[in-house]
Amino acid sequence: MDSDSPPGSPSCGLTNRSSSFFKLIDTFALEIGELKKEMVQTAPALDKEPLEIQGLHGGAFLQPPRCRGSVGEWDSGYDSLRRRMSVLERLTQTHQVWLLLAVSEDEASDILLKQPPGVFLVRKVLQRKVLSVRLDKDQSENPISHFNVRESQYSFSMEGSGISFADLFHLVAFYCVSRDILPFTLKLPEAISSAKTQKELEEVAQLGAGFWDSALCSQRRCSTPPCHRLSRTLSPQRTKRTAEVEESHQSAPPTLQPHTAPPAGFQDAAPPTGPLCFVTPLFLQTHSRDPDPPEKVADSPPLSSSRCAKPDLDRTKLNGKPRSPPPRPPPPRSAPSRRPAPPPPGPPPAVSRTKSMPVAAKGQQPSSRRPAPAPPALGGRTSSSTKSTSSPNRPPPRPKMPDLEAHRCHIALDDETIAKALSRANLPTCQPPPVAEEPSRSLSGPDERGRQRFSDMSMSTSSSDSLEYSRSPGFSLALAPSPPQHPAEDTSEDDEDAEEEEEEDYGVGMEGDLESRLRPILKARRRRVGVSLGGSSFVLPRSLKGRFSKVGGMLSSLITPEKRAVKRIAELSRDKSSYFGSLVQDYISFVQENRSCHTSGMDFLQTVRQFMTQMKAYLRQSSELDPPLESLIPEDQIDRVLEKAMHKCVLKPLKSVIEVILHDFQVNSGALQQLRENLALARTKKPHELGVDGAVPPDSVAIEKIRQKFLNMRKMYSPDQKVSLLLRVCKLIYTIMQDNSGRMYGADDFLPMLTYVVAQCDMPQLDTEVQYMMELLDPTLLQGEGGYYLTSSYGAMALIKNFQEEQAAQVLSSEARNTLHQWHRRRTSQHSAPSVDDFQNFLRVALQEVGSGCTAKTLQVQPYTTAEEVCSLCAYKFKIPDPENYALFLITEETRQQLAADTHPQQIKAELHSRPLAHVFHFVYRRVDNLNLCVPTHINNGNCLQMK
Amino acid sequence: MAIRELKVCLLGDTGVGKSSIVCRFVQDHFDHNISPTIGASFLTKTVPCGNELHKFLIWDTAGQERFHSLAPMYYRGSAAAVIVYDITKLDSFQTLKKWVKELKEHGPEDIVVAIAGNKNDLGDIREVPMKEAKEFAESIAAIFIETSARNAVNVEELFQKISKQIPPLQNAEVESNDSFKLTRPPNPTTRRCC
Repeated sequence: MDSDSPPGSPSCGLTNRSSSFFKLIDTFALEIGELKKEMVQTAPALDKEPLEIQGLHGGAFLQPPRCRGSVGEWDSGYDSLRRRMSVLERLTQTHQVWLLLAVSEDEASDILLKQPPGVFLVRKVLQRKVLSVRLDKDQSENPISHFNVRESQYSFSMEGSGISFADLFHLVAFYCVSRDILPFTLKLPEAISSAKTQKELEEVAQLGAGFWDSALCSQRRCSTPPCHRLSRTLSPQRTKRTAEVEESHQSAPPTLQPHTAPPAGFQDAAPPTGPLCFVTPLFLQTHSRDPDPPEKVADSPPLSSSRCAKPDLDRTKLNGKPRSPPPRPPPPRSAPSRRPAPPPPGPPPAVSRTKSMPVAAKGQQPSSRRPAPAPPALGGRTSSSTKSTSSPNRPPPRPKMPDLEAHRCHIALDDETIAKALSRANLPTCQPPPVAEEPSRSLSGPDERGRQRFSDMSMSTSSSDSLEYSRSPGFSLALAPSPPQHPAEDTSEDDEDAEEEEEEDYGVGMEGDLESRLRPILKARRRRVGVSLGGSSFVLPRSLKGRFSKVGGMLSSLITPEKRAVKRIAELSRDKSSYFGSLVQDYISFVQENRSCHTSGMDFLQTVRQFMTQMKAYLRQSSELDPPLESLIPEDQIDRVLEKAMHKCVLKPLKSVIEVILHDFQVNSGALQQLRENLALARTKKPHELGVDGAVPPDSVAIEKIRQKFLNMRKMYSPDQKVSLLLRVCKLIYTIMQDNSGRMYGADDFLPMLTYVVAQCDMPQLDTEVQYMMELLDPTLLQGEGGYYLTSSYGAMALIKNFQEEQAAQVLSSEARNTLHQWHRRRTSQHSAPSVDDFQNFLRVALQEVGSGCTAKTLQVQPYTTAEEVCSLCAYKFKIPDPENYALFLITEETRQQLAADTHPQQIKAELHSRPLAHVFHFVYRRVDNLNLCVPTHINNGNCLQMK
Repeated sequence: MAIRELKVCLLGDTGVGKSSIVCRFVQDHFDHNISPTIGASFLTKTVPCGNELHKFLIWDTAGQERFHSLAPMYYRGSAAAVIVYDITKLDSFQTLKKWVKELKEHGPEDIVVAIAGNKNDLGDIREVPMKEAKEFAESIAAIFIETSARNAVNVEELFQKISKQIPPLQNAEVESNDSFKLTRPPNPTTRRCC
């Protein structure tokens, strides 16, 4: 490695790489822009200013240039790309390889046993995801360990860890660079970690689970050493660090060994508590300084103490400053109490170090495997050692900073952090070696190690920082130091500065381009922000700030994956080349072109609802979504997110058509006319005539206000949003009722009042609105408050519609019963929600054997697959020894036909589905000779069309 | 603990104190600022029951005759129905019988029916003998209790009895949920917030 890239010349290669950099920078700029947008939502004003000030100067930006320089030397251009790819990107693009939700434990073991320690898979067991990791043989009896992933409502975390992530990719990426509760960091397969181009990653990804058996996998492994070099060369800082690490290693070998404790021990340490913090991009920076926040507390204190001694010594040497080991950064969950100290860059490292030691030991093994990388580091990077030393020194945050400044810094962090993260991520990413190296790092300087890790990550990792803010002002102060990160500025500062300097080191070379690219954006931002900042408006109490940042962090981490998922689904729905997209688009155009094929508005709405439910089921089962939804959204939220996505891809484009259709039904059935008349009549009634007793009705002003709300409601396409507006109307009515009398009103008073209000609003359209909501709202929401007031609105409309009828009650009840029946039907239709079998690309085929009845399987069958091909598929799936004697039959109630070899079963199915009357039909794969065997009609193979 | 949402429908003549019972039930034990709901016609309250938490989603209905026909929309999907009568009004007891009949015919299967004789603080003007009501309740296997929303008598008990009659979820599921929850402190959220 050293030979490839001389450590000393960071600047070279700049020119070569500049073009590729531009692209990257553009991407960064884009991404940062996006991130900012998101951030803005949370803490609009706050975020921007700091950016300006600090972001530009920030070490983060600096770093990239450096790397670039070094890389440039030996790299002709692709490398830059490679670097650009962060761990997160690599993970995301190759999830087909490691995200094997369907794989069993045995299969996972089979795969992983052939892999080096640290390689992992993510599987799903029941409703939970499990991270299966290959351990080192020497460390544990069981070569594979399984760690549960915990999913809370909004986040993913490892069981026992306090760090939460917005999605699975961030989680895995984090554990690729920081072990937290794991025995060591995760490692990407060589082919992935060393891939230089997107294309290479794509190739890997295409193999999917097959990757593990492929030549690519094994091949890469063999070639590992060269890769190491490359990666090393890529990021000089890295190498430096490694070198340092190694140094430290050597200096403190004895300490290391004790650490080698089996991984299991670590796990024990992990407290059972739920995650305290969310990792968000916003806080990356802070975190990065914090070497290994997540590390196990568990590391037994005794061990740590012994270890500590050594490292400290080393550090002192390096830094020249003795420092007492800072308290170990609080484990995330305990963090709240300890908050004050941990986040700041300085102190935590030391602590982490001690803790991390064990990790290092484990990590070493991998490194040993890859001797190549390490040595270069040593040679080239001696200088870096100073850096490392500095990091241990990191003093606790300085309290002196004036609030305002602290403020800014803190705020600045967000954008800056992101930018930094992005830039950094790109740089180091590629290294497959990093993982190997990491262990070694831990020895020398936890800080560095921490940094490295983070630097590796493009993703957002922050620990509980946000919390810390709010908790302890001290913490926020600590943040203030962030400015130091910008190398130039902070140099003067004490220990922190030293640390900062480190960063500078690497930062210096590279970031130029990035910075210049980003600048315009940043500037723009600043300007906007700047205004608000300038004023005293910023003088928030620290505690408040903390809140903001916390909220911001949480929101961004919460919102992002969901938004991303919805957006992705929406995109997919417009992509006609995807199956999902073609279904949605076909359905939309079908509805647009065939407005008159339904018997009633309700009937029509139910088909829409059913379609959405089907699509949700399809999305859950198909692999078209990439990455799979499960990796972005916690299990218990998937349905809600899918529902939202359906509203967006189905209801949004169809809203106006649906309205027209419903309106036509109303007009054609004469219901609209009747409703108008009755509304006019009801409008003339006094409240008490409608059953209002005692409560004071809204005046005309309030009625007008309500009317406006109803009009707004009409503009929404999402039934959820409509309902929330409806609730506001109800709240308003309630407020008026109660304001005037101070007592609590139940339904006895509310329903008549609502009826009165609806009559006064004189909006016949409300009828279809209510219908729209009732039929399209996710049925699971119908039991809650929204469902209640929706039901009441429906009731109020029903009363008005039948206002004139003498036998109102009677008619009503039959109508209400009918509604009830419809609901019933809908609910049941949900239960028998269409299975995958009903979709175009699947076909359910039953195998009929003379002795053993029927077994059915759902096969993936393309529309133009011939019966012959289906037969051979069946032979394979059903393990038929003599396929020549079998054939595919279509069996309906009265007929049985053998399908000719060149027919297309899917076309036949489509044909049957399109017939107006319900048909029961089955595709049966059976022996040709027993012609007289009769098929029991009750075999339901999933293709029944009875409904409708 | 696993939270189960249980829809409970309140039926009964207007003026018998349906919403008073619910208000009493919901508000006695909660800070007033805790659940900002739209109004008193839909209230929720969560109570522990064995290994589960029961979150009652209480649907109040309008008792006037003219709204009677809307009732099916309210009681559909209910796990339980509370039919309230006023012990000082015989009419309200007759109405109760009509509700019972309707529920048997059109209500959800397995619905838990509870009969509550409200206003038992007004015993001196009682028109419905407790014995009669109780026997009627027994004849239809319903829960029976006399309450006083005004004095907070037996309100909580009413819902406890309902809770007990709700069949627990499948055992396996409950247990797994339970053990899952027991292993860690329940409220990371609150901590997060401070």
